[in-house]
Amino acid sequence: MASIINSLSFKNFFNYYGDYDQTEYEFKEGVNIIVADNGAGKSKFFNAFLWLFYDDVLDSDDKKRKAVKDFAVKIISDKAKNETEIGESVEAGIKLEYSTGRYKFQIVKSFTATRIGEKISDNESWQVIMNDIEIDKTDHILPKYKPVYDADEKHRIINQLILPTLRQYSFFQGEEVDKMIDFTKKSSIEDAVRTLTNISKYEDIAKIVEDIEARAYKDLNKQTKQKESHNDRLEDALKKRDELKTSIGQENEKLEIQKESYTKAQEEYELLDAKYANASKRKELDEKISSKNRTLKGANEDYQKFLEGINNRFFDGNFSWISLGFENVVEDFKNKISSFRAARYEKRTLLQVAESPNDYFTILPSNSPDAVTLQQMIEKEHCYVCGTDAPKGSEPYNHLLKLKNRPNDSSSKKEFVKNNLEDFFSGLQLNASPFLNKFESIPQSVLRTKEKELELKKRLDKLSSELKALKSQRKDLLVTSNQDEDSDPREVINQFKNAIKRMESASGRIERLDNNLKDLKAQLSATEKEITSLRPKDIPEGYSLNYEIAQDLVDATKKAKERVFDKMVSLLENHANEHFQNLIKYNDIKGGVLNFDKSPSGGISLDYIDEAGNEVSGASEGFQRMKKFAVVMAIISANTSNYNYPLLADAPLSAFGKAFNKGFFEAIPNVFPQSIILVKDLYDKDSESKLTDLGAKLVKDENIQTFYLNEVDGELAQIERTTKIERRK
Amino acid sequence: MNSQEFRSNLLLKRPRYAKSRIPVLDAFSEKGSKTVDYSRFGPYYEIYIYAMMLGIKNKKRLPLPPRDLTKDFIEIGKWKRDSSLVDFLLMVIFTKTDELAIDWNELEDLEESELSNIISKIVTLIEEYANGGLEYLEELWEKGELDSSHYMFIDLYKDIRKE
Repeated sequence: MASIINSLSFKNFFNYYGDYDQTEYEFKEGVNIIVADNGAGKSKFFNAFLWLFYDDVLDSDDKKRKAVKDFAVKIISDKAKNETEIGESVEAGIKLEYSTGRYKFQIVKSFTATRIGEKISDNESWQVIMNDIEIDKTDHILPKYKPVYDADEKHRIINQLILPTLRQYSFFQGEEVDKMIDFTKKSSIEDAVRTLTNISKYEDIAKIVEDIEARAYKDLNKQTKQKESHNDRLEDALKKRDELKTSIGQENEKLEIQKESYTKAQEEYELLDAKYANASKRKELDEKISSKNRTLKGANEDYQKFLEGINNRFFDGNFSWISLGFENVVEDFKNKISSFRAARYEKRTLLQVAESPNDYFTILPSNSPDAVTLQQMIEKEHCYVCGTDAPKGSEPYNHLLKLKNRPNDSSSKKEFVKNNLEDFFSGLQLNASPFLNKFESIPQSVLRTKEKELELKKRLDKLSSELKALKSQRKDLLVTSNQDEDSDPREVINQFKNAIKRMESASGRIERLDNNLKDLKAQLSATEKEITSLRPKDIPEGYSLNYEIAQDLVDATKKAKERVFDKMVSLLENHANEHFQNLIKYNDIKGGVLNFDKSPSGGISLDYIDEAGNEVSGASEGFQRMKKFAVVMAIISANTSNYNYPLLADAPLSAFGKAFNKGFFEAIPNVFPQSIILVKDLYDKDSESKLTDLGAKLVKDENIQTFYLNEVDGELAQIERTTKIERRK
Repeated sequence: MNSQEFRSNLLLKRPRYAKSRIPVLDAFSEKGSKTVDYSRFGPYYEIYIYAMMLGIKNKKRLPLPPRDLTKDFIEIGKWKRDSSLVDFLLMVIFTKTDELAIDWNELEDLEESELSNIISKIVTLIEEYANGGLEYLEELWEKGELDSSHYMFIDLYKDIRKE
């Protein structure tokens, strides 16, 4: 019967503050969902199982597993620590109840810490004692808990929850699916097949029949040599056979070495694959970050320059802000300059009149000649007015000249003031003109300046949030691949390429060795035929028959083993495809299949092949994970008996995509009798129900048995924080 | 003195400010302030011009202390060189004929020394208005009534009633 977890509760375990009854999850057969944002107890939930199975917890700082006893002080809820006086003790622990068909078990793992120092987060401030594992057992029929004392039985009860060999298929956090299923590694598929089949029995048989064959051969040869009729030709053939056998052995050894180096290179390739994708993504990101940085720097400089330039607009004639409110000056100045000019004109005229009154008071009689007539009169030396001659040099002639030149006299200006400031004042008015015509537009110009600033600021904010996003992407990459901040992506890329090169060269050698072996084996088979015909005819039939049968047996067991292996692989392939189709049921990528392909070293590579038979590469991370998840489900469902253990998974739904989620929740009950799925992506702190649309839908989904929402009040200080578990279903 | 000489005599003048105003000048110009609490002007003359115009808008003239308690700075002609700014400022100043007790036409008839006195009077007017404006700014600053926005100066300038 399947193991079903009925409940899990905590006591002062990280942010799960309080006693067991305050922080309890109850679970049912089927799908159970816990929604928790980052920091709201998801990884702590997993830590409970790490403690249960391995006495470890995961240190979220360095993502490494630490022994509970060394990590105890950090495990205790800070609030609980803070409330414990010096000299007093506090207990932290986990309690799990699960049932199988007939029994129910309750397991408690805990420790007690006594405060002996002031600083609550110092290890030195606490004395930690690990408590014994408490396990109680009860019969469903007679529900009375009885303690289990026997250490072996305790061990067995814990293991029975999820068998150690199967834990890798049953207990994982998001990214671990990638690490768990590595089908290009020969041992990985073998492990899976071994877990699922009786293939090791075929291997035992193979050893036995090989032994039998060797003995039959020895016996046959012994018989042959006892016969007189054996001859040199047979001797030669036998020798040849031995040589060939040795050669084949040697070639096989070489082949093993090559396969090993292929596997090694492939392992490295696999290891680096994520890192490479990561590294090239990182390199790409680095380039993006540095270019974004440059743009940001430029934008920032523009912005600062703009800000610094704002006040400059007071003094810049293009903006002329300083003139704001001085409209009247223009009019005032205009009036002043015109009266100034009028006054000085008057003054000048008066002065000139005083100096040469005749110039100004030569009164011409009516009908005085115009300038053209005057000119004529001068040329003719005759005055038409009085009708007399006016010869050149005579007085009337000079008078005519004087009359004609009269206006010219005034141009011979004389300084009539001590300081002629006319040009000064006109110059001011003329030069200042840029500041004299913007009054109306200044308010608008200020407004535009503010708008422009906003625009620049917006650009700056956009760029910095883009940069922040890139940096956090880069950080995420580092976290998922456990890489150092400083490791050089180019190095990873080189290593990766190198691994590919080694795989290629090993693969070439394997092919050559395979051909050699084929050749040698053909020779061997020809030699053996020769030997049969050269053997004396009088050897008792039993000996050669024995040998032949032994040979057939060796062949048969080898083939049988291969067949079982291949059959299992193809079974897995079928199951994987079935699950995969279910998982992607609501996606638009349709028509493709998962293909298990043998690699030169005997491993299996997992590809997604589209309808045309081409490998689909570069699919999203979520898609890749879904692919492997289908294989995990296949390993479980290909097992002839039902899978009897719960699935505990941290589902990175966001990486899966919306359509996957629907398929996911529908598909898992087909394989796992119980699953507890922790998700953060369904949490929406802004929504009234605190759930996303999908979350709200899942609460109502009949496939979902229980639904929890965890919340931590992030506003509180760490020593106040507790995880609140709210059951929604 | 012709127009050219008059102009250059005027532009060669270095207006003065009270040494007591150095903190406020420093606070609002790039030259002086190290921290950027407030929007700032570039060189001293900018805050000086701004203060002067504020003084004019507020009709606040404030005599400078005795000469040894004052400092001068760059000559008017070097304020924002090659620009119309100084012409505009002089336009504003030269409309203040009542305050300066001058008549443009009379200027033309003054002896050189008398005209130089007028130039001094003009500079004094500039200094006193600037001093008045600076005091106003300083008061707002001390009372914490200045907005620390980038638009503090233009907003302040806008809000003061028209000349």
